[in-house]
Amino acid sequence: MRPRSYGGGRSDFGRRALYALRPMRLQSARDLKAELTSSLLDLEPLTPTAIGAYGIRAARVDVVERRLSTFALGVAPRKPGDYRLAVRVQRRGIESSPHIALIKDLARGEVDVRYVGRVVKSATPWHRRLQRPLLAGSSVGHYEITAGTLGCFVRLKNGATAILSNNHVLADENRAARGDAIIQPGRYDGGRRKRDAVASLQRFVRLKAKGANALDCAVATLLDGVNCEPAVLKGSGRLQGVTDDVAEDAVLEKIGRTTGRTRGRIASFELDGLMVEYDAGNIRFDGVIEIEGASGRAFSAGGDSGSVIYSREGKLAYALLFANSQQGGSNGRGLTYAHPLSTALERLAVELVL
Amino acid sequence: MAVERRQRKSPASKEDARAAKAEAAKLVGDHPAVNGIGITRADGGYGVKVNLLDDADDVRALLDRIDVAPVRVEVVGPIAKSAGL
Repeated sequence: MRPRSYGGGRSDFGRRALYALRPMRLQSARDLKAELTSSLLDLEPLTPTAIGAYGIRAARVDVVERRLSTFALGVAPRKPGDYRLAVRVQRRGIESSPHIALIKDLARGEVDVRYVGRVVKSATPWHRRLQRPLLAGSSVGHYEITAGTLGCFVRLKNGATAILSNNHVLADENRAARGDAIIQPGRYDGGRRKRDAVASLQRFVRLKAKGANALDCAVATLLDGVNCEPAVLKGSGRLQGVTDDVAEDAVLEKIGRTTGRTRGRIASFELDGLMVEYDAGNIRFDGVIEIEGASGRAFSAGGDSGSVIYSREGKLAYALLFANSQQGGSNGRGLTYAHPLSTALERLAVELVL
Repeated sequence: MAVERRQRKSPASKEDARAAKAEAAKLVGDHPAVNGIGITRADGGYGVKVNLLDDADDVRALLDRIDVAPVRVEVVGPIAKSAGL
């Protein structure tokens, strides 16, 4: 094993003392990490048996994970321009292993050892994954857009079941044609036109570049063989109906593709002259409902477009989410903008399926 | 016996706020920093909410109360459609 060198001609004590006074530069920390990585390869690997020797919780072998986490090496900043070797230990027993002792020795104490426990991948939430049967709140979109949210299920006058969301989610801001494929999950979540089509665009309220808009909404008819659970609000019960009037201090909820289920309250209503950024430029909306998130969270984020907003008590569908800001609200987490759902249902000549 | 009467300020009604909102739109509706004027709950009743893209002292200075309706001014920044990431 090659000893680490800090400079020629000095005694070991002198080198250690000098080293302790000098900040470790980033490149030195990187070199140390590379050197230790190769040195550790010379040691006996940390097999389950070896780890067991350093202390492992007793459990049946068949319930112990096969891949045993050990430790990871990196670089940790101590202060500007001064770094240390970072050792992140995933099992308590390993802290007293010869491997860690060797690292500490070779690094001459310039090491930051911390127990971090088991590290697991972040699971993709259900609302961004493929959902069959279809559920309100899940990722959806025209095959040309990134992703939005499936708001709710509606019935056309001919009896067909359709999904309701925004124009800019299902009709690509007026650019789509009737019959275009709607995919679930949306393209940004891995959905593909040939494999994941669940509906075809039926109709939409056009977004106007001039004058005031009241709605950003569209419906797409479910394809044959695609099933849905119409009134289910996953984790929150079932929709009970539609209302155009909720108490101004009512707690509202929505389930969206990006932020999942969130709660909020009305911050203002009958909001006119609201300019919203679209691909085509700024578009004006009147009669908007403004909502702020509760409990220090934003009520929505990009990708939640098309979510249906409903009363927490009563589960009555109230509004269709279409825009948000990054600033404002009593918690400073931004504001969400929606229009009345009942107006959208009327304009699209559909009714909510329960 | 003279009776001292104190004038009590009653909270603005929704109709008061709607009238004040129309007035606010006339006053600052065309201001480049204003992005939306609506109704909000304020002082136990209703008031006007004026949203701003950026802070604008002249809007804040101009609007504090319109008739009986209080005016709340808030910087909300740009507003964008919520799809797209």
